[in-house]
Amino acid sequence: MLVSPLTLLLAVAFVGAGATFFAGPKARWVAVIFSGATVAVVVYTLTQFQLNFTLSYQLLEVNHWFTFAALPGAPGISVDYAVGVDGISLPMVLLSSVVTLAAVVYHWEEENAPGPFFGLLLLVNAGVLGVFVSLDVLLFFVFWEVVLIPMFFLIGRWGGARRHYAAIKFFVYTHVASVVMFVALLAMVFLGGWGTFDFVNLYGLQTLNQSALSSVTQVLLFGSLLFGFGVKLPMVPFHTWLPDAHVEAPTGGSVLLAAVLLKMGAYGLIRFAMPLLPVGREVLTPLIFFLAFLSIVWGAFLSLAQRDLKRLVAYSSINHMGIVLLAIGLWTQVGVLAAVLLMFAHGLVSAVLFMVSGSMHHAYGTRDIPSVGGMSAYTPRLSTMLMVGSLASLGLPALVSFPAEFSAFFATWEGLGLLVLIPLTALVVTAAFYLWMMQRLSFGPPRGSTLKTHDLPTPELVALSLMVALVVLYGILPFLVAQYIPASPLFHIPCFSGGGGVCP
Amino acid sequence: MTGIPPMAYLPEGFVLASTLLVFLADALGAQRRRVFGGISTLLLLGAFLLVLADLRVYPLAALATLPASLVGGPASGPIVFTSLGLIFQGLFLGVALLVALGSLSEGELDPGAAIFYGLLGLATLGMLLVAISADLIFLLLSIEVSTLSTYVLVGYVRRDSRGLEASMKFYIIGALSTAISFFGASLLYGAYGTTSLAAFAFPPAGGLGNLALVGFGLLMVGLGFKLTLVPFHMWAVDVYDGASPPVSALLSAGSKKMGLFAFFAVFIAVVHVFNATEGYALLVALGGLAVVTMTVGNLQALQQHNMKRLLAYSSISQAGYLLLGIAVATPAALSGATLLAVAHVLMKGGAFLVVGAATAAGVGVTIEEYRGLGRRLPVTALSFAILLLSLAGIPLTLGFVGKFYVFGAAVEAGGWFIFLAVAGLLNSALSVFYYGRILRIMYMADAPGEGPEPTREAPPTLGISSTRGVANAPPPRGGVLRAEIRTIGVARWGVILGCAVLTIAFGIYPTPLIHAFNAAAEQFLRLGY
Repeated sequence: MLVSPLTLLLAVAFVGAGATFFAGPKARWVAVIFSGATVAVVVYTLTQFQLNFTLSYQLLEVNHWFTFAALPGAPGISVDYAVGVDGISLPMVLLSSVVTLAAVVYHWEEENAPGPFFGLLLLVNAGVLGVFVSLDVLLFFVFWEVVLIPMFFLIGRWGGARRHYAAIKFFVYTHVASVVMFVALLAMVFLGGWGTFDFVNLYGLQTLNQSALSSVTQVLLFGSLLFGFGVKLPMVPFHTWLPDAHVEAPTGGSVLLAAVLLKMGAYGLIRFAMPLLPVGREVLTPLIFFLAFLSIVWGAFLSLAQRDLKRLVAYSSINHMGIVLLAIGLWTQVGVLAAVLLMFAHGLVSAVLFMVSGSMHHAYGTRDIPSVGGMSAYTPRLSTMLMVGSLASLGLPALVSFPAEFSAFFATWEGLGLLVLIPLTALVVTAAFYLWMMQRLSFGPPRGSTLKTHDLPTPELVALSLMVALVVLYGILPFLVAQYIPASPLFHIPCFSGGGGVCP
Repeated sequence: MTGIPPMAYLPEGFVLASTLLVFLADALGAQRRRVFGGISTLLLLGAFLLVLADLRVYPLAALATLPASLVGGPASGPIVFTSLGLIFQGLFLGVALLVALGSLSEGELDPGAAIFYGLLGLATLGMLLVAISADLIFLLLSIEVSTLSTYVLVGYVRRDSRGLEASMKFYIIGALSTAISFFGASLLYGAYGTTSLAAFAFPPAGGLGNLALVGFGLLMVGLGFKLTLVPFHMWAVDVYDGASPPVSALLSAGSKKMGLFAFFAVFIAVVHVFNATEGYALLVALGGLAVVTMTVGNLQALQQHNMKRLLAYSSISQAGYLLLGIAVATPAALSGATLLAVAHVLMKGGAFLVVGAATAAGVGVTIEEYRGLGRRLPVTALSFAILLLSLAGIPLTLGFVGKFYVFGAAVEAGGWFIFLAVAGLLNSALSVFYYGRILRIMYMADAPGEGPEPTREAPPTLGISSTRGVANAPPPRGGVLRAEIRTIGVARWGVILGCAVLTIAFGIYPTPLIHAFNAAAEQFLRLGY
C-alpha cells in the first residue's frame, strides 16, 4: 500500500506534539521545528494535489483497522484507517497548520510550563488535521474527539480568571454535541444498510439506498447532525459556550478555537449532513436559513454591545459563521465555494484579531475598550495590526474576507432573492462596531495607563505579520486558495439544489 | 465431559496451588509480604500464560473446527470450554495478577498478607470455574466459592471498623442474593427438567411458562447483585469504600466481570427465545435495568466528594453499559461487552490502585485532596488521567472502542435498541462532568501550599516537601520521579503505568482483541452457552 503524504503529515503532527510535550525548557524550539515541518508537508501536499481531478478524493490511503461484527448472516463492516483530501478539506489543512505555526511563534515567551503548553497546541493541530483528512466515519470521530482534550487543558490550565468554568463548559457542551452527532452518523450507516464507514463509498452507495432511510428518519438524522455540528459552528442558540471559552482561553488557544475548531462544524455539515440526507435537507433547509439569519443578526448586535475586545471578536465569529451556515444551506456550487472560502478567510482574520486582543492585554493590562485610547500614538504597530484585522473582518476589498463574503452574498441573492438584505444589514452593523471600536482604541484621546506600555514584542510582531501578510496575499489573489475548492467529488456530482437533489 | 483432557484444568490447578502454598508458607512461619506475594504472583502468572497458550492452541479465528470433545454437547456435564470462557479466564487472571502485583507495595510485615494472597487465589479460582460452567448449579456454586473469599477479604483487617462494617453488609446482601439465585434456579429446574445452560436455549414444550419467566426474573435479581445493577447496587458503594484499595480493585474489576459472565452464560442463549416468545418483558427489563443502572450510577457519581465512592458509582454505571451488550445479544454486542470488560479491568483496576498509591503518598479520601497531584506524582497522575479519559469514552483509549462497539451494536440491531444506544451515549456525555472535575483538580488547581489556598504541610512521606518553600524552583525531573516511585512502591507504580499504557495501546490498535472477541462471541451465540 502506497503511503500517502497525508499519513506523513499526521505522523509529523502527532510525533511533534508528543516530542514537544516532554521537551522541557527547550520546548519552543521543538514546537516551532515540528509545526514548521507540518507546514512544509502541507505545502508538499499542495504540490501533489491535482486541480482538475474531481472524481474522487486524492492522495488516498486505505488500511484495514478492525472489523465491526455484523448481524448474523451479514458480512462484518470494515473500519479503516482511510485518509485523503479534496478541494474542501485541503484549504482547511493549510489553514490549520499555518495558524498553529503562528500561534507557537506568538507564544514564544511562554514561561508557564512551556512543554505541555506547546505540546497541547500541537496536539490540537494534529487532531484537527486528522479530522480534515480522515475518510472513515469512525476515524473522523476519533480525531474529532482528540481535539477536545488538549483544548480542555489549554483553557483550564493556561486560561484567564474564570478558566475552570469555561473549560468544563466547553468540554461538556461540545462533547454532548459530538455524542449526538456520532450516534446520528452510526444510525445513518446502519439504518441505511450502507455496510461501510468509508466516505468514498458512502457517496456512491447513497443513491442505491435512497429508499432505505424513510423521510422521517432522514429528518431526524439531519436534525441531530445539524445540532451536533451546529454547536461546534456555533449557531445561535447553541453558541453560549463560545464567548466563555474564547475569552478565558490563552491567546493561542483562542486562535486555534476560532481559526480551525469552528470550521470543523461547517466541514461536517458539508461532508455528511447536506449531501447524504437529501430529504432531511429539503425539509429542514428553512430551519437552517432561519438559524443562519439569527446567528448573523444576533452575533452582530451582541458584538456591538461588548466592551471587552476579545469578547467582541468572539461574538463577531458567531456572525461570520452564520454567514458560512447560510452559504452552506443554499447548497449551490457558488454557495459551497463561498462557504469554504469564508471559512478560510475567517480563520486567518480571527487569528489576527485574537492575537491583537492578547497583545493589547500585554501592552495595556486590559482589554476593556473604553479604558484605552490613542493606541496609534503609543503602540503604532499594534494599532496597525488591529486596523488591518478589523478592516479585513468587516469585508474591505483587497483583504481576504471580501471575495468570500461577496460570493456568499451573491449566492444568497441567487438562492433567496431579497432576503439577502438581512445579512447585508447585519454587515452594516458589523462595520459599525468595528469602526467604532477602532475609533475609540486607535484614534481617541490617550486614555488609560500608557506609562508602561510597550509596542509589540518581536515574537508577537512576527506572528502577526505572518498572518497579516496572508490576509493581504489571499485578499489580492483569492484564486490561490479558491482554485482548489472545486476539485472535489461534491462539485463533480449534480447533487446540489436544482441538480435533482440527489448525489449520484 | 469425557473428552476434556486433564491438562485443560492446569490453570485452575495453578491457582489452587497458589492458595495452598501461601497458607503452607504461613504455617511454616513465613512473615514477609514479599514471600506470599511472590508465590501468588508467580503461580497466577503461570496460570495466565497457560490460558493464553490455550487460546493459541484453539485458534480463535478457526472456531468452527474446535474439537467436539472440547466443546461438549448440551448434556455433557457441568463443564464446557468455550473461547469466550477462556478469554474471561484470561481476564480474571489478569485482574488477579494486577491486584497481586499492585499490593506488593503495601506494608512489608502486614500480618494479613498471607490471608490476602491466599484468599485472592481462592476468589480467582471461583471466577475461573464460572467461566467454564455449563450448568446453572455449578455456575452458582462457583460464584459462591469466589464470593465467600471476598467477604473475608473485605474485612480481614480487624482493626478497621469500616472494613468490618463493609464486610458484614457485603455478607448479608450476598447471602440474600445467593438465596434468590438458587430459588430462581430451582424454579427453572421445575420448568425445564434440567439445569444445563445449553438446554435453556430451547423453550420447554408448551413455550416459556410463568414458572420459567419467574425463574429467569429471580436469577436476574440474584446475579444483578453481583453485577451491581441498580436497584441492587446499594451494597457496592459501601463495600468498595470500606475495603482496602487492592480489594476494591479486585471486586470492581474481577468479581463484577464474574457477574457479567454469569449473565452471559444464563441469558445470552435465552434472549432469542425471549425475543420470539412471551419473554419479551424480560428483555425489556434487561434493557431497562441497563439504562437505569448507568443513569443512576452517573447521577450519584456526580455528587460524590469521596474518590473511592465516586469510582464505585462510576463502576456501577459501567455495569449498565456492560448489561446493554447482553440485552442486544448480537455478536457485535457480545464482542463489545467483552471489549468493555477488558477496558473496565484496566481502568477500574488501575484507578483503585491509584487511590491506594495516593493514600500511600499521604493524600486523603476526598477528591479535593487530589489537588495538584499532577505535579506531586506526575506519572501516576498522568496514568490516572488516561484511565479517566478512557472511562469517559474518549477516543484513542480502549474505553472508547468498547463503548463504540456496544453502542454501535445497539444501533445496528435497530428498533428500540437505538434508544438504548442514545441513553448510553447521553450517559457517557454526562459522565464527562465528574471525570473532568477530577482532571481539573489534578492539573489545573495549585498543589497545597503553592497557590492561594490555605497552606497545608506536605506529608513527610512525600520526600519532596523540602522544596515547597522555594518559589519557582521545582526539583529536577529525575528527582520527582524517583521520589514518586519510592513513595508508592515500584510494583504498584509499574502496574498503574502498565494499565494506562495498555489502555492507550489497545485503544489505538484494538484489532487483535476485536478479531478474537468477534469469533468467540459468534461461537458462544451459536453454541448457546
